[in-house]
Amino acid sequence: MFDAHSDQDWKAWFADNGARLRLIARQWTRSDADADDVLQEAFVRFWKHQRHLPGNPNALIVTSIRRSAMDLHRRTDRRTVREKAVAADADTAMWFEPEADPRLQSLAQSLPLLPEEQREVVVLKIWGDLTFDEIGEQMKISPNTAASRWRYAMEALKKFINARTHE
Amino acid sequence: MNDELPDFEAELRALRPKAPRGHVTAAIARELDAHAASKAKRGRIIAWASGLASAAAVMLGVFFVAQRDELGPIRYELVSAEQAPANLDLLAPVELADGSYARPVRLRWNNTTHWADVKKGTHLIDYRPAEQLALIPLETY
Repeated sequence: MFDAHSDQDWKAWFADNGARLRLIARQWTRSDADADDVLQEAFVRFWKHQRHLPGNPNALIVTSIRRSAMDLHRRTDRRTVREKAVAADADTAMWFEPEADPRLQSLAQSLPLLPEEQREVVVLKIWGDLTFDEIGEQMKISPNTAASRWRYAMEALKKFINARTHE
Repeated sequence: MNDELPDFEAELRALRPKAPRGHVTAAIARELDAHAASKAKRGRIIAWASGLASAAAVMLGVFFVAQRDELGPIRYELVSAEQAPANLDLLAPVELADGSYARPVRLRWNNTTHWADVKKGTHLIDYRPAEQLALIPLETY
């Protein structure tokens, strides 16, 4: 599913992987529009120049997305007024399709509320399909630290869900 | 807590992230299709250059045959075949039709092949300058 090395059609690969890649972009950006921009730039760069490189294509595309997101942050950091506008968007936007199961819906609503460092680990592990070693390389932390953040994130999600259940 | 982690992970995997909006796919298609067209064009240029080299080789062969017919039994023997180190010219970056950037590079070198018929004291030196142009894609940020 994630093999981008072969000469397959980009549209098929993007159809299979676009949603999870967009989520990875979304958790590093402040709005849906920014996530789309980052995904577009990162995917084009990956497909043109990087997909034939050796190594895990997941790690390559995640690196490309992270780099585009950081570039976008640098550009938009100067636009403080717009920052305030998109910050509101970040609070309310949905990252997932609506779920009929209340527990899943709570989970979907809770993930964006995690501290950024924990959320990154969860998103990269689940939707980036990266190991703790690979997450550590991406975030410049040790694999043990990545695993610890994962455990803290699970605890936090459990608390969020329990709180919502008892509301 | 640890016992619950695998189930929690499975629930996370069950969530469905929102797909990219349609205009994203359309924008990617524009960029990648233009890129593919540009690559195909570069391929045609290389094929055209190869064709020229083949034509030159044929003309050289005809020249040799004509020489042999006119001068009789000349027996050339290969003395040396050398390829000088290539000079590399890095040219200014250019913007391609698809909006991406590339740096043209020009390689120039000389191929020199020397034949001689020692008995007749004749020499044939084929001095052939060669040039190749290529584009190196540049990443822009």
